[in-house]
Amino acid sequence: MRAKKLNSGAENGRHLICFVKNRLATLVARGRKAPLGDGAITKELSSLTLVVLLICTCLIQGGCAESLTALRKPYEDGVLRINLGTEPPGLDWHTSTDSTSFDVVSNLMVGLTQYTNQLEAKPACAASWEVLDGGRRYLFHLRHDVYWTDGKPVTAYDFEFAWRRLLAPETAAQYAFFLYDIVGARAFNTGASKDVNTVGLKALDAYTFEVKLAKPAAYFIYLTAFCPSFPQRKDIVERFKDRWTEPENLVTNGPFKLSRWQHEYKIELEANEKFFEGAPKLKRIKMFMVPEASTAFALYENNELDFVDNRSFSTPDVERFRNSPEYRNFPLLRAYYLAFNVSKKPFDNADVRRAFALSVDRKVFPKILRRGERPTSSWIPPALGGAGSDSGLGFDPAEGRRLLARAGYPDGRGFPETKLLYPNREDVRLVVEATQDEIKRNLGVKVELVNQELKVYLATTRKDPPQMFRDSWGADFPDPETFMNLFTSYNGNNHTRWHSPEYDHLIEAAEGEQDSARRAELYRRADVLLCREAVPIVPAYLATQNIMVKPWVKGIAINPLDFQFFKTVTVGDTAAGEVSKSP
Amino acid sequence: MIFSILKRLFMAVPVLLIVASLTFLLVRVVPGGPFDSEKSLPPEIVANLNAKYHLDKPVHEQYVLYIGRLCRGDLGVSYKYVNRTVNDILFDAFPVSCQLGFVALLLSVVFGVPLGAIAALGRGGRQDFLAMFVSTLGVSVPGFVIGAGLIYIFAIQLKALPVGLWESPWHVILPAVTLAFSPAAYLARLTRASVLEIVEKDWVRTARSKGLSYRTTVLRHILRNSLIPVVTVLGPLTAIVITGSFVVEYIYAIPGMGRFFITAVMNRDYDLILGTTLVFALLLVIANTFVDVAYQLLDPRMRMNAED
Repeated sequence: MRAKKLNSGAENGRHLICFVKNRLATLVARGRKAPLGDGAITKELSSLTLVVLLICTCLIQGGCAESLTALRKPYEDGVLRINLGTEPPGLDWHTSTDSTSFDVVSNLMVGLTQYTNQLEAKPACAASWEVLDGGRRYLFHLRHDVYWTDGKPVTAYDFEFAWRRLLAPETAAQYAFFLYDIVGARAFNTGASKDVNTVGLKALDAYTFEVKLAKPAAYFIYLTAFCPSFPQRKDIVERFKDRWTEPENLVTNGPFKLSRWQHEYKIELEANEKFFEGAPKLKRIKMFMVPEASTAFALYENNELDFVDNRSFSTPDVERFRNSPEYRNFPLLRAYYLAFNVSKKPFDNADVRRAFALSVDRKVFPKILRRGERPTSSWIPPALGGAGSDSGLGFDPAEGRRLLARAGYPDGRGFPETKLLYPNREDVRLVVEATQDEIKRNLGVKVELVNQELKVYLATTRKDPPQMFRDSWGADFPDPETFMNLFTSYNGNNHTRWHSPEYDHLIEAAEGEQDSARRAELYRRADVLLCREAVPIVPAYLATQNIMVKPWVKGIAINPLDFQFFKTVTVGDTAAGEVSKSP
Repeated sequence: MIFSILKRLFMAVPVLLIVASLTFLLVRVVPGGPFDSEKSLPPEIVANLNAKYHLDKPVHEQYVLYIGRLCRGDLGVSYKYVNRTVNDILFDAFPVSCQLGFVALLLSVVFGVPLGAIAALGRGGRQDFLAMFVSTLGVSVPGFVIGAGLIYIFAIQLKALPVGLWESPWHVILPAVTLAFSPAAYLARLTRASVLEIVEKDWVRTARSKGLSYRTTVLRHILRNSLIPVVTVLGPLTAIVITGSFVVEYIYAIPGMGRFFITAVMNRDYDLILGTTLVFALLLVIANTFVDVAYQLLDPRMRMNAED
């Protein structure tokens, strides 16, 4: 087949050469006769161009016949093709911080525990664990049958090394703060203590790992299911240094292993036959990095991708395919909000802030963004139990006007010039314009919109934000803590300048509380304080994940943390089951 | 001639040094830093990061460190792509852009120059109007519109070519055509203007009147002389086209280096910004040296000047 193709290619080539010779001969012959200004020469030039084009086509055709047939095939059994959107900034799960890297790592590795799609932390490398000393000491008992891809067993020493490395100042890990609840961890990470043995973590033997916390932290077990806490191999990291995450060096312990990494283009994962839960059903995952959503979506439509999500989904495409059986929509733990700089007049007055919160009808956001966003007026998302009820201020423009009048600005008269800062992105612009419109209509106050390029915006919100700005927060683990800690006076991401000892106290009490009902109640009280009484922020909506899945792919599930686990996914006709849905 | 080439290349060293120093300063003047992110970090961790990348040192010390590394051929590390050096990144990405750019450059010369010549030789006629319409379109319609249009027609409707990605020679066609559009149109306009000027020259009439054929007159006298401005722009054009285009690489998902010109700045990835800028500057110097050589081949007078 291949030889025949080449033959015919060669034959084509001979024909072409003859053709070119003939053309040139005619050109020369005609050139002799043609007078200046005659159109003949232009015809000759254009025919020469055509010939060059033909040669190009011919050359390409020789090499490509096979790949063209491959394009026509809709899918390959056991191979999943997805779009990562961008190059993962790194696969070292200590130094990476972004969801793209975590999408890859969470299919390569398992930690002490692992998330189910219902976001429970269930045993993985740890067969069981004990919570001792009133929640201050964790003892993990490791399984004996979990192996690295090079055949060595996963031991408690790998966790001890990994967690110490995460905390070491020279690693400069952004997620080091994840372990700050551990005795001595913060001091060691900041260089206040040079002795690694002062940190409360220790491998008691090869299969027992002990962790001591400075204070009880009810959410701690979730941290052991998240990428930064995964184990690492001392010998590999030290031997290969900066290159230990390249495919030829990396050893992992999860359902897939890294087989190929073409930077900025494609990552290929291969099934790990020795995975302790048994080999995954897929043979291979091809993760492309297609940055442009419309291209990725066209690839999906042309059967060159099997699964796309928000990264590959422009809003018009969502509209077009909303009723397709391949379309699904899942709520995420990612909240968007408007924040006030409470140190700037007139937003130092809680009445003004409450008036603004009452004047924004959150129902407008899903109408303009059109991805099924969930409007919210409380800060704890419904999925995190803490707030089944709505703790925040709903839409009540009359009450808003009354509060604004009480603050000294009846119908918005005499209200100082107000700026609303936002990062330069299309969807954000739509949101702030709608907000501006709501405030103008319901309070009579004109808000000026200011946009900045993302990094400039981030620097501004940290140093000196204007009276209002737009911000967002995505959960790191499925517990109200990840949202509520944000507005404590000591959190570096609280840019509102709002400090409340009462709020700090409630959060600290909730963190240490072991009784889940009492804990939920503490968070609810803090939520009311945040969204109904003091109102340094106006929660707006929760984002969603929109996906399209080809009918031959089964078992794709999206959880609210947006981790995508592919170990139970199948591709091909033999597959059974349905697209599973998380509650 | 070899001596003059060597002289040019030697002169590139101070040029590159100035480019490096200016860029080094400019990136640090822009507000925002490499470690600003949506989730801002505890100050202790930012301090660790700054120490790791020597960003805690005074600017002049950073500068000395940087130039020192540069002299050893080390372009530094990326802050965004942890564990990858700028040399690694450019070494992976440049060959891709270079392949694509080379095909595009070939296409733009093969189509652009004849198109301009055709237009000029039939000045005022239908072919002139048509050629100039096409080239105005090529200059003014942005690459992402052309790209999207080509994808829609050839990939989605006709299913004749792939939508994107970088797998086989088929995958080169659409991006190369998109990339070639604007330079081809530019070359066509330039060639037309240049040919129009040359056609009027006395020596063209002389050539015809002494009995040279139309063909020889056009190819040896008119085209050859009108190529000088074209060759002049081909220098910078080559540097631009083979370092890749953000738009084309973005819409066709091609792992070239064009994207870094934009993303490195957005991420404040200081060393990567400097790396891309230096590579571009170096290519520009090399391409311009080639242009000088080409001048001498095209015009004997310049050869004599160079030898003086």
